[in-house]
Amino acid sequence: MRQGIVFQLNGEETVYEGSATDRLLDVLREEYRLTGVKCGCKEGECGSCSVLIDDKLVNSCMVAMGRVQGSSVVTIEGFSKTERFKVLDAAYASVSAVQCGYCIPGMILASNCILSKNPTPTEADIREGISGNLCRCTGYNAIVKAIQIAAKEGEGLW
Amino acid sequence: MKQISKSVIKKDHGVKARGSAVYVGDFAQQDMLHGKLVRSPYAHAKILGIKIPELPEGYFTVGYRDVPGINEVHIVKDDTPVFAETVVEYIGDPVLMVVGPDEQETERLAGEIVVEYEELPAILDVRDADTVFFDYSFGSGDVDKAFAEADKIYEEEFETGYQEQAYLETQGMIADFNDGKLTIHGSMQCPYYVHGALVKAMGLTPDRVRVLQDVTGGGFGGKEAYPSILACQTAVAAAKAGGKPVRVVFGRREDMEFTSKRHPSLCRYKFAVKDGKVSAMDADAIFNAGGYTTLSAVVLQRGLISAPGVYSIENLRIHGTAVKTNTVPNGAYRGFGAPQTFFATEMMMDHIAKDLGEEPLDFKKRHLAKQGDATSTGGKYHFPVPIPAMIDEVEKMSDFAQKRKEYAKPQPGRFKKGIGIGLWFHGAGFTGNGERDIIKAVARLHKYADGRVEILVSQSDIGQGIKTTLSKIVANELNLPLEKVICNNPDTDRVPDSGPTVASRSLMTVGELLRRASIRLRSEWKEGEEQTVEEHFKEPDFVIPFDIEKFEGDAYPTYAWAVCAVEVQVDSLTGTNEILGAWASFDVGTPMDMNIVVGQMEGGLLQGLGYASMEQMAANAKGRIRNNSFSDYLIPTAMDVPVMQVHMHVEEYPDGPYGAKGAGELPLVGAPCAYMSAMEQALGKKIYHIPFSAEDALLRADEKEDI
Amino acid sequence: MVNGFVPTSLEEALKIRAANDVIPYAGGTDLMIGERREGAYLFLNRVPELKIVKREGDVLRLGAGCTFSELIEHPETPALLKEALQRIAAPAIRNEATIGGNIANGSAKADSALIFFVADAKLKLASTAGERVIPIKAFYLGRKKLDLRPNELITEILLPTKWLTPYYYQKVGARKALAISRLSFAGLMHIENGVIEHCATAFGAVSAVVLRRDDIDAMLVGKTVEQAKQIRGEYLAAYRQAIDPIKGRVSSEYRKMVCMNLLEDFLEANGI
Repeated sequence: MRQGIVFQLNGEETVYEGSATDRLLDVLREEYRLTGVKCGCKEGECGSCSVLIDDKLVNSCMVAMGRVQGSSVVTIEGFSKTERFKVLDAAYASVSAVQCGYCIPGMILASNCILSKNPTPTEADIREGISGNLCRCTGYNAIVKAIQIAAKEGEGLW
Repeated sequence: MKQISKSVIKKDHGVKARGSAVYVGDFAQQDMLHGKLVRSPYAHAKILGIKIPELPEGYFTVGYRDVPGINEVHIVKDDTPVFAETVVEYIGDPVLMVVGPDEQETERLAGEIVVEYEELPAILDVRDADTVFFDYSFGSGDVDKAFAEADKIYEEEFETGYQEQAYLETQGMIADFNDGKLTIHGSMQCPYYVHGALVKAMGLTPDRVRVLQDVTGGGFGGKEAYPSILACQTAVAAAKAGGKPVRVVFGRREDMEFTSKRHPSLCRYKFAVKDGKVSAMDADAIFNAGGYTTLSAVVLQRGLISAPGVYSIENLRIHGTAVKTNTVPNGAYRGFGAPQTFFATEMMMDHIAKDLGEEPLDFKKRHLAKQGDATSTGGKYHFPVPIPAMIDEVEKMSDFAQKRKEYAKPQPGRFKKGIGIGLWFHGAGFTGNGERDIIKAVARLHKYADGRVEILVSQSDIGQGIKTTLSKIVANELNLPLEKVICNNPDTDRVPDSGPTVASRSLMTVGELLRRASIRLRSEWKEGEEQTVEEHFKEPDFVIPFDIEKFEGDAYPTYAWAVCAVEVQVDSLTGTNEILGAWASFDVGTPMDMNIVVGQMEGGLLQGLGYASMEQMAANAKGRIRNNSFSDYLIPTAMDVPVMQVHMHVEEYPDGPYGAKGAGELPLVGAPCAYMSAMEQALGKKIYHIPFSAEDALLRADEKEDI
Repeated sequence: MVNGFVPTSLEEALKIRAANDVIPYAGGTDLMIGERREGAYLFLNRVPELKIVKREGDVLRLGAGCTFSELIEHPETPALLKEALQRIAAPAIRNEATIGGNIANGSAKADSALIFFVADAKLKLASTAGERVIPIKAFYLGRKKLDLRPNELITEILLPTKWLTPYYYQKVGARKALAISRLSFAGLMHIENGVIEHCATAFGAVSAVVLRRDDIDAMLVGKTVEQAKQIRGEYLAAYRQAIDPIKGRVSSEYRKMVCMNLLEDFLEANGI
């Protein structure tokens, strides 16, 4: 009988032997050295720590480890190996949507979720989809444009 | 569009998009120790004694007694202590740092430290202030005569509040003291500022201090001076850590409560109007400096210099003070004093126009400065002032005239609309003689034998894309592909001091130095050989030298200009408002990369709109900042963004690279003016303060004062 | 598992709750803010009974473990509840936050609780000692004080759906997303053949508990629209008295003004 918390981390079966009350954000960054998952506030208010849990966008700072038992967790490190990421990466690059970069891992995962929900989102859908990801640098317009470009270029991927 | 303006893929796009960019909080732990500051809970108090409990093995504390050099953080005047010695001047003033291997244990121990204080009376409101840190005056013409002869005199008071930079990455530093050398890296805008502060506080020679900028998640001025303080504190800890690195990274709450913010201001304006025109301006500004001086002198200077706005007013009396209060010391934030005075000036002009029965825009147009006119400090607008053309552009983009007329009619329904316009500038570059006499920038290019060229400057990319734009300049002059131009994050062991990343100077001033260096390298190019060329700043010939004592001369070599219209809709049941659109024309000279520059314009514009409305920060009755989290200090989300349209109006500046001039701060400065002008039309009431909340809109709309 | 339990049935969850000192973890979005709590967490996200969405006549049984996103996407969810849930926070929070957690947090700012109040919903509470059903109004004893007995879990919200449309709903926040309610209002009125068959209002974020005064609303029930117009002033005066807002980031004066504005607008929208 496996002790510990068994979950999928970036596609690999992983067992976490620490406390079920440990914060997923801390565990990802410190235990698994997945520092692409950023900490902006630790209160679920900024989205820098966004990850995918069972393909849904979640703030990892709001998650205790016990919750991920039996679930799949994907961070930017895992997502960046996908075809979808390639399309988003190119789209973001083409409009220089990355400024300081701190919100970006979360934004990219949020972008993925928007397109998963609706491969041809309206601008309102896009803005709602990233409404939990704060960005202080860009004013959001370039990020919205990037997602619109990805929707076009990524036909078939979502 | 000039070739150079064509957008490229940013040099740091890839690592940031993949999540592999390493910020200070991302470095591997190894034997890293954590530092936690112990801060004053009182706004003003004497320190009587400190009781440190028995600490577990590996844990220690540092305070002022451990500062090897001088217990002062060099900023401008050096009154900020590394650690408070006998008195604390604001809630949060650092007294000690607890250091140890486990972050949680270090925090717990920090809570166990007992500092004995004797509370002193605290001054929390500028109106009660009894210590003036800085006092400046300047003027022109005969203000008293103009007031004596005026048809009408207007007197109004305007107030602006705090603004928190809210960079997504909080402040952080890692310090390492080994073999007599101190190495510090972290989130910062100005590695040489940090370097200078460390040399003084640690009593080390410059060669024994090495400062590196890590990938920095936003600055906006909040990481201009503050990192020097944190760096000194962390370095003191590292000196006692037996060779182990010490890291301090702030949580969001600590960062929001205790790091520098935009100066709240109180502006008292008196304007004389004769024959339908403003004949004199008498301005008095009070800036809330907080507990120590830090950057208040320079912020106040820029604020005062900008006070007359984009207008040529013959008779000026400008006076301002930065006063001490026992609150968190305020510092640099994009705009640096100008947003405060521009708000007062633009609203004043709006109010006067309405009183005279004239449309504010028409009234403002009759006062516009022109090329050749004197500036507020008796310098000159040496270059075109394109405001009239930019007004036309914005009017077209926003359908301004039509909407202005439409919304002037009675609006009986639940929702009331308004549209307003703001006109402003930002002085490009460091104020006054600072560039020439204090910074004395040096930029270097190093060519490797294989033909790659490395840029060696101290500019920090904090998201604004300076790595990419500087590289484009060098690549362009040397006809190299962008990949062959190297631009790493600055390391004081490797780069000369080309000055701080502030004042919208990096692209315009350092970029121009690199352009000249590239031209020289090109002419001296030796295939297969390593070469280095260096360029030193030279003040352009046309600049009328600035005298900081008299506030006379060219405060800035040139200006970036802006016109913006904002349309709002107010819900009369709740007072909340929605921004329906923001349209702006910006002149920052030749854009060095269109996507990068437009990104800066959009980001800055949104920060300005937030500053005017939802970004409310206040201290409680004891003087402690209340809004200390993202749930309480609200910045705009993607859903709050209006339709935002930005147009680049290009007036090439001959002394900037390919005609570029300072851009970074411009878009924020006057956005509140356009927004509040629109709100005034929607509400039919005058507005005198920002942030202006839904509560203000509802309660003020209820007051019996029509315009 | 260290410091945690992940039951896979309600029975198992209640047994663990009774036998151990555990903190129930529904969505985690309130619990995880601030310092870590001492003790073990009882993770409820794998308990199927807490995820039900089942219509029984006019009543919709909603599992307390349903997340906001799940309900937003569910075809059975009434439009009023869906709208209120859509305004909460942002997608990442909505994907984890649950209606049970929203209620158990005990705050008068809880956006879903407002809807449950105006609908006069009931809560099903369970423990190893048994089950009970109480009106949501009775569950809130004061600010963050709940009638939650030892070892009890909120298992279901029983939502009467008969009167939920048409509806009037307004959330007043300081921005369009990630906004905690400064004030919220929900109003339900059903007029059949000129007679007011149902009237229910609720105000959130103004007092320690969501304000639901069905006694005041009862003034209008059974009246014709004309009769209601006659007593409109009395009705509003009663609310003016009843609404005594606490001061927060906005003043009580502002809160009260907005409450009365929205209430009046609600009446006008119904021809009163």
